[in-house]
Amino acid sequence: MLFRIIKNSFLKRPKAVLLVFLSIAMGAAVATAFLGIAGEISHKMALELRSYGANILLEPSAAQGGGFLREDDLPKIKTVFWKYNITGFTPYLFGVADISAGGKKERGVISGTWFAKQLEVPGEDSSVQGIKGIAPWWDVQGRWPEDADEAIVGATMAKRLGVVAGKELDATVGGRTRRFHVVGVVTTGGYEEEQLFAPLITVQSLLQRQGKVSRVLVSALTVPMDDFGKKDPASMTKEEYEKWYCTAYVTSVAKNVEEVMAGSRAKPIWQIASAEGSLLKKLNSVMLFLTVLALVSSATAVSTSLMASMSERSPEIALMKAVGADRLQISAIFVGETLIISIAGGVVGYLLGNQLAGIISRTVFNSTIASPLWLFPTAIISAFVVAIAGSVVPLRRALLIEPVRVLKG
Amino acid sequence: MVESIIETNGLTRSYGDICALKPLDLQVPEGEWLSVMGHSGSGKSTLMNLVGGLDRPTAGSLRVGGEDLLALSEDGLARFRREFVGIIFQQHHMVPYLTAVENVMLAQYFHSVPDEAEARSALERVGLGHRLKNRPGELSGGEQQRVCIARAIINSPKLLLGDEPTGNLDHKSTVMVMELLKELRAEERFTVIMVTHNQDVAAWGDRTIYLDDGVLVREERMKS
Amino acid sequence: MVAVKLIPHILSWAGIVLVLLRGFPGRRSVVTLTSISGFVIGVVGTFTLFRSFPGTVVFGIVTSALGVVFLLIWGISVASIYRSTGRGVTFLWVERLVNTSLCAGMVAAIAGVVAGAVGICRLPVTDKTVLGLSLLVPASGAVAYAVAYATLAIEKRLPKSFAVSPYGMPTAVAALLLFSSSSILRLDLFSPLSMKVMKFAHDFVHQFMESMLIPDHVFIQSYLWRYIGLLFGKEIGFWGGLFIWFTPALLVLLAGQFERLPPVAHIRQGAQRRKILAAAIRERRFRLVIPLISLLFFVAAAYQSRFPSVEYWDPKPIVVTATSSGEIIIPKKGEVDLEDGKLHKFLFNRGGKDARFFVLMGPAGQLTVDLDACAICKPDGYGQADGTVICYYCKTLIPLETVGKPGGCNPVPITFAEKDDGVHIDALTLINEWGNTVQSTSKIKEGGK
Repeated sequence: MLFRIIKNSFLKRPKAVLLVFLSIAMGAAVATAFLGIAGEISHKMALELRSYGANILLEPSAAQGGGFLREDDLPKIKTVFWKYNITGFTPYLFGVADISAGGKKERGVISGTWFAKQLEVPGEDSSVQGIKGIAPWWDVQGRWPEDADEAIVGATMAKRLGVVAGKELDATVGGRTRRFHVVGVVTTGGYEEEQLFAPLITVQSLLQRQGKVSRVLVSALTVPMDDFGKKDPASMTKEEYEKWYCTAYVTSVAKNVEEVMAGSRAKPIWQIASAEGSLLKKLNSVMLFLTVLALVSSATAVSTSLMASMSERSPEIALMKAVGADRLQISAIFVGETLIISIAGGVVGYLLGNQLAGIISRTVFNSTIASPLWLFPTAIISAFVVAIAGSVVPLRRALLIEPVRVLKG
Repeated sequence: MVESIIETNGLTRSYGDICALKPLDLQVPEGEWLSVMGHSGSGKSTLMNLVGGLDRPTAGSLRVGGEDLLALSEDGLARFRREFVGIIFQQHHMVPYLTAVENVMLAQYFHSVPDEAEARSALERVGLGHRLKNRPGELSGGEQQRVCIARAIINSPKLLLGDEPTGNLDHKSTVMVMELLKELRAEERFTVIMVTHNQDVAAWGDRTIYLDDGVLVREERMKS
Repeated sequence: MVAVKLIPHILSWAGIVLVLLRGFPGRRSVVTLTSISGFVIGVVGTFTLFRSFPGTVVFGIVTSALGVVFLLIWGISVASIYRSTGRGVTFLWVERLVNTSLCAGMVAAIAGVVAGAVGICRLPVTDKTVLGLSLLVPASGAVAYAVAYATLAIEKRLPKSFAVSPYGMPTAVAALLLFSSSSILRLDLFSPLSMKVMKFAHDFVHQFMESMLIPDHVFIQSYLWRYIGLLFGKEIGFWGGLFIWFTPALLVLLAGQFERLPPVAHIRQGAQRRKILAAAIRERRFRLVIPLISLLFFVAAAYQSRFPSVEYWDPKPIVVTATSSGEIIIPKKGEVDLEDGKLHKFLFNRGGKDARFFVLMGPAGQLTVDLDACAICKPDGYGQADGTVICYYCKTLIPLETVGKPGGCNPVPITFAEKDDGVHIDALTLINEWGNTVQSTSKIKEGGK
């Protein structure tokens, strides 16, 4: 019966229903769009931060005038104080090469690295180091290279060159050409998809940079930064410094590694991103604020239009009361109406908001977004919240209607 | 000795300074048809609203069907209205977007659970078997009032209240409605209180009381 | 701290008592008394079992009891749905049995035993002496008495419309028991259930579909492979587990909704007939409350099982002494099983000097003996988490593989000899090693957290 009442009430007053529906749908759409964009940006940032991948970047220090790190220093990383907290590391050597395959040709980055190298360090257990260990999210179609002339290609580059696993390609640097056998295509979700990855030793000889490395990524088990960890070690007391040094903050591990790599500078990767991170935080709170604002205004719109229809419907409410409806029954009818509108409004708002988020991120942020799963419940819930917040005042008004006054004469 | 269904003692209702109903003592025995007459503003509608649990007195006591209406909460009054009273208004108050049968079912829904078959037969009983699916806009005044009667009696009330139920009807429809009420009362044996300013309508009752300025001025027993 | 951990278990049991009191109306005294005694028996009985059998056996027993409870409500829920659809099967003797105080007492006692057993599993049983046992009996008795009578007082104040149907009652009891047990990793039922489902799905595919799993088979077109792939996925266990997990409560809910209304055709007056119907529908709705709440507890249990709160394994140090030849000998399978992959702490005292150390079997299967302190931090000791140990002082995680190697914040290794009768440690070396290590790092001498 409740549904019969609500259905007929909708059919009879399509305009009023449409108004409420639009207010709710708008609110839900704005909430979906803003939260979707905010969430997506945070997600992308989180990927950048690589929270569980490498968290320390070793580069040649600027003081040394650019240059390179020495490959010979690498095993020392396994001998530092925090050696047991370092779960893996990978050296990289970058160079620009003319890469050609199947008649297509382009300039691209060739990157020499370790994939899964057996590393023997005197006095320590042997271990396997390389990309495979520190970048477990790399998705290789095919297999990892094993021989010196095998390589894997980033997905974007592979698409442009039309290369798949099993093909061959040539890389030319300064007149020297080397032929690689492509054994896999790698998807990483990052800039790596633009590169060609080959064993370090091969790339070193191709670039004429024997024994040299341009950067090292280190992955370490660290303690989350707290206020103590952020203190400047230079200003600590001796006791504090001891505790800081013996706590596996990413900064102290980085400092530890830096000490053994000649001419290097270690940066915790979050440091690179922290400037962007605080900007992101601000952006997110602006987004959140705008979302709340949009929801409040759409709740106000809902409230206003319900108020208007309530005064139009007061004879009907008075009649229901006279026939014997108690407050719960009256509320059930009117809250039921708004909730049903809000479900429809939530679904439509979600669809609209998704499109809106797509358009905004294309035009403003110049990136596509994949809508996360949690957006749908968020849209529905925000529609509910808008509907309920908007119907509190009108419902109170309805419950206060006195049948005697309205039905008189 | 028939028991009184309504007992009032010094029943008073005032709106601010205006006293709509001066202290009134009234007994209505069960099964009686009582007509209440008076000019507009004489307090007759106020009396009916108080008895029907739509309004609360400012002083005095009011017992209807053994229930002390002053002691009931707002929801308690709602329960009293749906289980004990049927009300018919002067302006045929139906929910505009519901059909005739749905308007009757509405009363069933508030009372307990809707039962469409029963609602249909109630409408057939008031001679509207052919207009079940029509909305109020498509019904004449007399037809609407008959829907209201069907709705008022659907929950088998002990007390039927009419606030000038024929006030807006022509003579032919008035007679039809009154005949119907009489018939139904014979079957269901409910008590009727009917407010009217029409002498002919009042004459359908067993007893007529006259109110003037909130005071009971005269009482008349019909001889049928 | 231990008492705080027990609160959810005691509250779950209180909920069980509440539901039983309502489910067996008019049998308050029987239900209360048997509940209390069941709880005490569960606590004390499990404690005694822990004294005489290794932990695995006891946990196995309690887990099986929980499993049986779960299977029982599966049966009950199927019966409920079968009855509500109006099949003409009525087990009169069952119904008569349900209404006896014997049945009320039995159910209350069994629920109490399992609840008590689950509760005591939460406590690290370190004190296995008779003294502990003699303390436990009055303590658990007092707690049970207080909780049961508080519940009784609450139950008396609840509105009458809060009714518990004969099917809602066991569902709620099972839900609360499983909720209570889900916070203890070793008693958790949901994860093994998911695992079993996954294994079953894989076996099914292997054994029944092997013949068809040849590419380009007539019946299996390529698009079908995607669906077959689903059966191999990790998710199948989870979803299948969820299905089995929630079905009983859902069936009971459904049965409540299907429950037939009283016959009213003989009542002539419409209003009266409808009022009876409305009252029946209202009552039916109230009876849905308990299964709905049970469903929530099932959700909570599955959630707790899926996302267990990490607790560091940190046993109390066991006091050891040296033999006359100055050796500490710890048997491999003595009081504790040294080779179970867990951290086992010991405390040695000589001449007023304490030395704390632990024995741990690494993932490689190599025993190692280390001080419960590292060379740099204050000796706050270590706790064990998944795949690592954590230094309580600097919160550094140390991979299990590297425990036993010196350096960093790793625990300081101690030389030891592994012989047939156990692990031999030189007491003097231990004390000196501890002294040297701690001297430079410690101002406080306090173990564990």
